Amino acid sequence: MSVLSVGAQSYQLSDYLEKLPGTTFRRLYQQPSTAFAIFRRMLPHLAKTFVMALLYMPGPMLLSELDIWVRPDSKLHRDRALSILRSLHIVQITPPSKDKPQEMSLTTNFKNSLRMALEGGGNHNSFGVPSSLPVDPAIDIAFLDRYARKKWDDILHFVVDSVAENRSTAASSGPKASVKDLLLAGRLVERRSLKGPVAITQAGFAFLLQEANAQVWTLLLLWLEAASAPGSQLEVVDMLSFLFMLASLELGRAYDTDALTEPRRNMLPSLVDFGLIYIPRDTPRQYFPTRLATTLTSTASALRSVGAGFDAASSATAEADVAGLGEPADEKGSIIVETNYRLYAYTNSPLQIAVLSLFTQLQIRFAGMVTGRLTRDSIRGAIDHGITADQIIAYLAAHAHEQMARAAAVAGRPVLPPTVVDQIRLWQLENERMAATRGYLFKDFDSEEEYAALSGYADEVGVLVWKSDARKMFFASKVEQLRDFMKSRKKIEG
Amino acid sequence: MPRAIRGVLVECEPSIKSIIINIDRKNHDYIIEDLDETHLVIQENMIANLKMHIEDVLKDSYQKVKHIDDSDEDMI
Repeated sequence: MSVLSVGAQSYQLSDYLEKLPGTTFRRLYQQPSTAFAIFRRMLPHLAKTFVMALLYMPGPMLLSELDIWVRPDSKLHRDRALSILRSLHIVQITPPSKDKPQEMSLTTNFKNSLRMALEGGGNHNSFGVPSSLPVDPAIDIAFLDRYARKKWDDILHFVVDSVAENRSTAASSGPKASVKDLLLAGRLVERRSLKGPVAITQAGFAFLLQEANAQVWTLLLLWLEAASAPGSQLEVVDMLSFLFMLASLELGRAYDTDALTEPRRNMLPSLVDFGLIYIPRDTPRQYFPTRLATTLTSTASALRSVGAGFDAASSATAEADVAGLGEPADEKGSIIVETNYRLYAYTNSPLQIAVLSLFTQLQIRFAGMVTGRLTRDSIRGAIDHGITADQIIAYLAAHAHEQMARAAAVAGRPVLPPTVVDQIRLWQLENERMAATRGYLFKDFDSEEEYAALSGYADEVGVLVWKSDARKMFFASKVEQLRDFMKSRKKIEG
Repeated sequence: MPRAIRGVLVECEPSIKSIIINIDRKNHDYIIEDLDETHLVIQENMIANLKMHIEDVLKDSYQKVKHIDDSDEDMI
């Protein structure tokens, strides 16, 4: 249930995969598309080189020979690559022993599947079966991009809208109830009261700041996690390989739903809700992967910066390009922050305005621009929602207008006015002016010796929080061990 | 025989501590023990209530500052 305990950090595919047992990997790697997708997306270049070298080796290779391939000063990279390969169960290394040197080889399923993916052949259908039915010419790449963007924006809006003042944007149909439940289960948003509106959490804000590709994976992993709960019909391994298969499909092409297995067909409605695939109403036997699906395993969009990724997710007018879903042609920021806490944002995007309204007191909206002010109340409101000062500062810095960046570079100053940055931090600190620790105050000791023994023991077991030798008092966070200690002391004395 | 009293140890700046002591003065229902300049032990069930009170006091003092430095209207 690691998803439920997710903190400020959002959930990542690699963390998820590393927790899977070896048997799961063996089954995953039966699909050539999965082996290929893992190879493409999850491995650093050096690890890929190792895999390619091992792929057509007839037998295992001596581990010591690897030292000849890698320069001594790159030992760190080598070890990292090997540890990734082992954690993903791609490479197996024999345990060290006296009479036999260590050998490494690819795991059987991975080797066979990757070979098949590269060479073609087999009738595994793991790269999808194109539909033979006629395709509606209206469904082109631009249409699919618009569709996926609309779906994804709805989801992001749902996360943001929870606190946005402007409810008119919510009029556009929000995401399906199932998606909302996932976001709630993943603690990206939470319901403060039983029937009340949902509110964004710290994890939700971190989610917004991720690039679109990571966002999609976060949601998909929540979906997987929900499916692995007892009583669920769906099977996680099959879901994962289906996702990897979708990632290998071609954008703008129609695929045949009849070629899918029954459980996979049952996953289609959820994937439609996420905007990963599109199913035309009049030809339900066809499905189209959208850019959200086909870029799942491409590193091109995964390597985008957080800021650019957010622009991509938030810019409503942007045209789609190859790198990712609707990444804007120019990646410049739009926010100007002045030393008097005034904020100007050159944007039309309702989503970006909604994000700003999380921590800004917006005042006037013009065509293409909003103005507002960072106030104590607006920042405190955001902090009450679990958004940290650092997240706000990072957001402002990542989206600072190029004019600000230029002026700062000329003067050799930081991009954001230091007074504003400090004040945002101070506003947060205000809330934390009191550090509270639950526990027990120990006082009224009979003797100096008794005090010294017990407080010393409390310190030893790590429960001592505060003490004053002069007043013979101390504060401990836990009482059980101390009680036992006192009892045993009694016995010895008595 | 030493006593163990359940409570919440609060660590804060002296200025905040003086606010807490002021709040406690009315009914003496918050503070269990005044430890030193920056430490107090507070009744466990009163912590949320106390935070709210401190918030109110701070808000009042900040409101005054805000009116002085807010010169929005004549800038537009």
